[in-house]
This record gives sequence, structure tokens and C-alpha cells, in this order.
Amino acid sequence: MGYVAIKGGADAINGAERAMEILRTAEGEQGEPLTLSAIEHQLRLLTSRVVSEGGLYHPKLAALAIKQAQGDTLEAAFALRAYRSTKPRLLETPPQDTRKMRLIRRISSAFKDIPGGQMLGPTFDYALRLMRLDLATERPEDFRKIAGSFLARSPNAPVADSFPKVVDTLRAEGLLPPLHSRQCDPFDVTREPLVFPVPRSAALATMARAETGSLLAIAYSSMRGYGDIHPTIAELRVGYLPIELPHPVTGEMTEAGEVLVTECEVVAMYEADSAGKRPTFTLGYGACFGHNEVKAISMAILDRSLQKGMADGPANPSEDPEFVLLHVDGVDAMGFASHYKMPHYVTFQSDMDRLRTTQKAHDQALEPSPHQTERAAQ
Amino acid sequence: MPQNTHALDSLPPRSQWARFLHAANVIECLALAESFNKQFQVEDIQRPESGLALLRNRDGARGEDYFLGEIPVARAHIRLFLNGEAMAEGGAQILDDRTPLARAIAILDAVLANRLPGHEQVTQLLNQGQQHIEQQQAQRQVLLSSTLVDFSLLGNDEDDHND
Repeated sequence: MGYVAIKGGADAINGAERAMEILRTAEGEQGEPLTLSAIEHQLRLLTSRVVSEGGLYHPKLAALAIKQAQGDTLEAAFALRAYRSTKPRLLETPPQDTRKMRLIRRISSAFKDIPGGQMLGPTFDYALRLMRLDLATERPEDFRKIAGSFLARSPNAPVADSFPKVVDTLRAEGLLPPLHSRQCDPFDVTREPLVFPVPRSAALATMARAETGSLLAIAYSSMRGYGDIHPTIAELRVGYLPIELPHPVTGEMTEAGEVLVTECEVVAMYEADSAGKRPTFTLGYGACFGHNEVKAISMAILDRSLQKGMADGPANPSEDPEFVLLHVDGVDAMGFASHYKMPHYVTFQSDMDRLRTTQKAHDQALEPSPHQTERAAQ
Repeated sequence: MPQNTHALDSLPPRSQWARFLHAANVIECLALAESFNKQFQVEDIQRPESGLALLRNRDGARGEDYFLGEIPVARAHIRLFLNGEAMAEGGAQILDDRTPLARAIAILDAVLANRLPGHEQVTQLLNQGQQHIEQQQAQRQVLLSSTLVDFSLLGNDEDDHND
């Protein structure tokens, strides 16, 4: 690829920025600027996508990025990543335990009864996908009443908000392989390039900040037949993960805040251990910042696919670490697609020159030789 | 350094103070810390700073660690002096990017941990934050309790199908 420097375009570029602002404010005097709080709460699933794809759990800044990008999730994630690149890294947290998550939703499609019960929580799963026309004319006073009246229905007895994991029960029954006891330093995808083969921690970190649609597309290829995972959701949970850091004075683990996380564990086909051990189910794991179930499920399926590919060699695209991990990052992919909009005048001029030369050679080859012309005349 | 070892039974554990103070009114938090700043001499043991933390998580399938992403962190570690004598140490690490707030919580942490004069006001702020968090928990409890589902009823009718 080749580029040329742009000269004399500063006015046009400034004008393009103003044009974007004009369209953002096109409602004129009738309009109200979006507040960050409104974006964060009323467009919470959009905010969730941006915190996860930006790789930084900062819902307020994600809301700002959404506002600035006028709703473009790729641009918003890009802005969030640009912000994070300006901040110093102070520390690495100790490993956090998602069993401590304060859940708002928890389901299993593997078992009807799970310890602690299933809670649907906030979900569109069982809703009719019909337009809610009442929202088009929603009045502020009605809007403000909804949360208050819902919350008045407080439970009679306190409800637990953290629960044991379904996979722990399966593991206790010997249906899953034991957990790893030795820990290696995880791969930091923000500081190290992916040079294959990469450890599983690199795959999990890459997918945790991957673009939702990209993960879904490759996971969907596996679901439809270009794969052999056959997943069942052992547990899908959405909740707030308390982040514990050592207290600067006492060293005691202290809660520094909480992070909304979606986590999914899928049970896949069982396999016999090559060393002749008892057969056990295999598992795939997915997790991401925010509330994004499609992403967590897709990641869990791909985690299992990649584990299979890493162990036995890839049999299809979803099992190929290089194919999956190098094509799911939204900011990378968007950057490459967008760069085609930049001037490529030199390279294209070269392409045209080569085409004209080739056409000329082609035409000359088709022109009849003097001998052929003479014979045709006879 | 004199350390007050009074029993703090009525208070939540110190491991929850930063969380509760972080949930309290920020302006009141900063103002109270500023009043202690005038009352005591505050020395930064570690320069207050804000930045990012890499969030290390353990996966539920194989128990391997990986990085889920980054989170904002502000932290402070201070020591309070009165008349040149070291009185107390306090610290805070919070999921936030406001360094002054982390330093304020570290000051309040020191005052409360050592029951220094004015600690009652810190307790009030702590209670305020705790109430806020309890309200939040109550909201989440409603989300859970009102959507508790019993799928064991599935399959009792002939029309039910299991995918």
C-alpha cells in the first residue's frame, strides 16, 4: 500500500468535523443534548458493548464516547482505547473470584434445578419482539414512576445475591476435569503482540475485548456446522464482581468497587483422556465487561473450539487460533476497513498503468499478423 | 506511632470502609477530609495517583488466570501528624479516576481507624454510603426475587418440548 501526503486539506477537515457537529445538533432549538447519565442507563446495553470492546470498564467515559461517536460502537471503543493508552498502569489486581459476583441474572439450560435457583433477571429472552409504540410518546412523569413502583415490590425475606457455580457441582460429581492448580503469568494483549502459538490466556483476553458481531459470526459458523462443539449452557450469569485490592495500610483485601460482568460456561462434548483417564465433559468459558450475553456465549463456544484446535489441530475456521484471534478485534478491523477511504492515488495510478500495459499487450496479441491479413485477403 | 486499639465492633469491617465512603456524597467527603487536613498535618507516604489496573480473573472452565480488561484506579496512602507526632496511617484504593477523592478517603480511613477527634463525622458519612449501597442491593434483590423461575414445571404437560 502507498499513501500520499495531503496538502491544503486542513480547512476541509475542520469543515468535516463541523459538519458532524451540525448533524449531531440538527434538532436545533427543539433539541436537548444527551446527558451521559441517560446514555449510561437508558442505553445500558450499548454502553456495555463499548466498555467491553474498549477493554476499559469506565461506563461514564463509554457514555461520553458513544455521544462523541454519535452511536458508532466501533468509533466509541476506539476512543476509549485511545483514552486508556494515555493513562499509567498502576497495578495488576490479584485474581478475582467470580463466585462472589452479586448477581442480577442467572440461568442454566443444562439443569432445571440449580442450587440457589434460576433468576431470569433483566432479559428480552421471553419478550415479544414487537414494537412498543407507547415508548414513542413516553412522558417524563411516567418514565420516572416506573423504577419507583417496581422497587416497591421488595421481597419479604432477604434474597441471596451470590451463588455457587453449576460447574462446581458437576466437577464435584467427577463429570468435569479438575481445575488447574498451577498458574502461569497471563498474557497481556495490550502490551504484547500475538505471535502464534499463543497461550489460552491470550485467547481469552483477546476475545474479552473483541467485537461482539465478529465473535458471534465465527461462533455461529461453529453452531451451524463448521464445528463440533454442541454446547449446552451450564450457567449464564450477569452481575457485579467486587474488585478486591490490598489495603495500603493493613494489606487486608478490601473492596475497591465493583464491575458489571457477564459470564458463561458451556458444557461441550465429552472426551476420553489420551492417558486413559475417565472421560469427562469439556468446557468453554466466556466473560466480558458489561451486560452482553451474546458475546459471553459466543466467546465460550469459541474458547472450547480453540482448545480443541490447539490440542488436535484446527479442523475448521473456528478452531484455528490465528484465524479467530486476528479477526475479532473491532478496532483493528475497523481501522483496516476505514483506511481504504484514505487517498491511495499513487498505488491506484500504478494499478492503472499496469492495466493499460496489459491491455495493450492483449490487444496487440489479438491483432492479425501481416501474414494472416494477406491470407485472409486471398 | 501511637495506634488506637479501641474496639470498632459497631462499625463495618475496615475492608468495607472505602466502598462505603466511595458511595457517600463526594462533596461532603472532600469537605470533611479538608477539615482534617487543617486539623492535622497530612503526609503522603505514597504519592496519590490515578491510572489503570489490569483486572486478573480466573476462568471457570479450567481455573486459568487471564486478563478481563482494565479498570480505573485511584489510590492514596497517608500519615497524619498532630503537633509533629505521628498519629495514624490511612489508605484507599478505589475504582475511580479522581485522585483527590482517593486521598480524602485515605484521610477519613486514618481518622476512623484510630478514633481520632472528629471520627463521629466519618461514621456518619460511612453510614450514608452504606445506606446508599443497601438501597442498591434492595433494587437488585427485587430484580432477582421477582424473576425467580421454576423450570421444573416444564415437561409436565404434553405440549412442553425440550429442545
